[in-house]
Amino acid sequence: MNKPLRTRLLTSAAALAAGLAASSGAARAVDLTFVWHAGTCADALVEISKDYPDKSVKIVPALVPYGPQWHDKIASEFAIQGDAFDFAMWDSQSTAEFASHAVKINDIFDKSEYLKADIFPPASLSRYGEYPDGSGEFFGLPANQDAYGLTYRKDLFEDPKEQEAFKAKYGRDLAVPQTYQEAKEVAEFFTRPDQGLYGWAQMGGRDYDFATTASNSFLWSFGGELYNPETFEVKGYLDSPASVDGVQAYVDMFKFGPPGSTNWGFDEVNTAIQQGQVAMAMQWFYFNGSNADPKVSKFADKVGFAVLPGAVGRDGKFRRQFSVGGQGMGINKYSKKLPELTKFMEWYFQPEQQKRYAAVCQTGLKSVLESPDWQNLNSYNAQFSKALAYLNDYWHLPEYPILLDELQQEVSAAAAGTKTVQQALSDAAEKNERTLERAGYEIKRGETTPEVPDQNISPVGQDKVVPVE
Amino acid sequence: MSTQSHTARQAELKRQSSGRLMIFGFLSPTLAILLFMVAYPIFSLVYYSFFNFSALRQTTMKPIGLRNYEFLLSDPQLWERFVFTGKFVFICVTLQMLIGIFVGYQLQKNFKGRDIVFTALMMPMMLSPVVVGFLWRYMLNSEWGIVNFLLYSVGLPKVDWLGQANAALWAAAAADTWMWTPFIILLATAAFRGIPETIYEAAEVDGASPTYKFFRITLPMAAPVLFIALILRLIDSFKQYDLFVALTGGGPGTATETVSFAVAKTAFSYFYTGEASALAVILLVIIIGLSMILVRHLQKLGERY
Repeated sequence: MNKPLRTRLLTSAAALAAGLAASSGAARAVDLTFVWHAGTCADALVEISKDYPDKSVKIVPALVPYGPQWHDKIASEFAIQGDAFDFAMWDSQSTAEFASHAVKINDIFDKSEYLKADIFPPASLSRYGEYPDGSGEFFGLPANQDAYGLTYRKDLFEDPKEQEAFKAKYGRDLAVPQTYQEAKEVAEFFTRPDQGLYGWAQMGGRDYDFATTASNSFLWSFGGELYNPETFEVKGYLDSPASVDGVQAYVDMFKFGPPGSTNWGFDEVNTAIQQGQVAMAMQWFYFNGSNADPKVSKFADKVGFAVLPGAVGRDGKFRRQFSVGGQGMGINKYSKKLPELTKFMEWYFQPEQQKRYAAVCQTGLKSVLESPDWQNLNSYNAQFSKALAYLNDYWHLPEYPILLDELQQEVSAAAAGTKTVQQALSDAAEKNERTLERAGYEIKRGETTPEVPDQNISPVGQDKVVPVE
Repeated sequence: MSTQSHTARQAELKRQSSGRLMIFGFLSPTLAILLFMVAYPIFSLVYYSFFNFSALRQTTMKPIGLRNYEFLLSDPQLWERFVFTGKFVFICVTLQMLIGIFVGYQLQKNFKGRDIVFTALMMPMMLSPVVVGFLWRYMLNSEWGIVNFLLYSVGLPKVDWLGQANAALWAAAAADTWMWTPFIILLATAAFRGIPETIYEAAEVDGASPTYKFFRITLPMAAPVLFIALILRLIDSFKQYDLFVALTGGGPGTATETVSFAVAKTAFSYFYTGEASALAVILLVIIIGLSMILVRHLQKLGERY
């Protein structure tokens, strides 16, 4: 063999070896794809994951807008048993629907040295991952907690002239309302369309869960229920007198909102807050980061955050119940990257990472939630931790998206005024029962149905108004 | 002699059959793709429509005959959706055809800046329907949308465009018309410019007025192309889904749910796969029926002009 040929062969062999080495390195690289709705919290996860020590693992977001597209993207992938994503954040009430396609987190708790059930508050773990309720079987981790809250204009509430005028008109001090009855008066007081000011903003839109997360908060506080989870009766519960009282109070509050707010979603409510257009707004704590940010909101230094009011129901009992928000982190059981994902989750749920996350969103890690640093981190965390005690949720049933859509149709129609609240809730009850029957549930009809269903189902009524400071 | 003729016939047959074989050989890949891409999904759709079945909730597929069809056709809500879809299609297609033909007629004339105007008019058509939906949703916002701002600035009351059923229908029709009228303009302009100038010159010699020329020459001569545009818009408006997802979410209540919206929701939110298949079959039959009637009319038009 001549020298030039030998040199060429050696060079080629070296190049081949280098190529093989590079390709084997590339093969070790792992992309962990997650599905979530786009927003601050998804951005925070991506940002934190950039510091994951194992640089061969990359966290890839597959983000969709908040709404049905988000649910449908996860559901469609599960339907084909695909692995286009490895983990996903889904709504607490979707756990029932997705549990059969998700990795049982108990298995990870058993094997992992760090990831254990006790690093999360038990109520949070249950809320975002347990199915069936009370079974001790988990299919999600509390990645992003949220709750409905009250955002109000501090400058208006603390203005001595407003305080004086309010007292003269209603005979009591102007204060953050503890009941919806009080909220109605405060909203009425501040509704001044000629000044471009309105008393109350809330969601009423037809999309996804916009109207019903708000209306349910009223419904539960007035002693209503969506259904009886033991007998699966919906008629007589969802359209019970107490439920109608609650949803009627919700519909009535639109009188004190900006015109056309019956079809608002969270974006419109946020804009109203950030433009100082409303004295009070029902809004998720999730958005308080932007509402308290002077770069985003002109009224950032003028808004205060509180726990939502409760209501005194027709039985004279006080209840404070509102919708849970946020998402659990679930793992796609068809993913082939479970070992890498488990290692990432063990790192991600460490206090160091969760403190960073908690600076912009609401963590589910107990050690961070209990630390005084977190409570004092911003103007709303302390209120958020109080709000966690009053959360309630939709049906925890696999038929959730159908039941939700049926209730959305009817509540949205009531908000738009095309149906009375009684008619809308009766129609929703009829549809919901049909859906449950189609899914094979046996509805055991009782002889009577309660006027105030909460008295029969996990009662929370108290004899007097219990204020939250 | 007869042996010679027999041989010649055999050679001819051989040539013909090898030609047919070659044609089949060339066509078969395309046919195979078409069968796979069109025939198989349609067959699956019809097949699944006879089952109680959910792709997500993996219970056993239960054959239920025509019960999905019975359930759907006896559901008053489905008929409400058909009525809404019909109203929407009628308003949109009428507006788009009228505006499109009028603007197209103006654009066939040569004037300075015509190409720039033409290109600018085509822009809405290039956007995604979801983008158009969100754009109009913000423009129609009752409190800070540009539409109500303009109404208010001339002393008119603000309208809750998306919160009231009737207003929402007109809002959706306006958005769809804004987006798809350019398509009619495009085809109408092309059709009008394709008419030979000599016909107009002859009409002018005979003293025909502009109105006469438009109704007796321009429209009839452009009719086949305009009819194709009508067919395409009818079918497309009938299938409208994404615009409503972004603009109204189907609300208020179920007031703006089109039939396609119901198919998508039943299939991918409810995951009632069998029922959604039956609904899609019903929709397919209607669209095919509608198309066949229109295509027959198109053929008659083609024969006439």
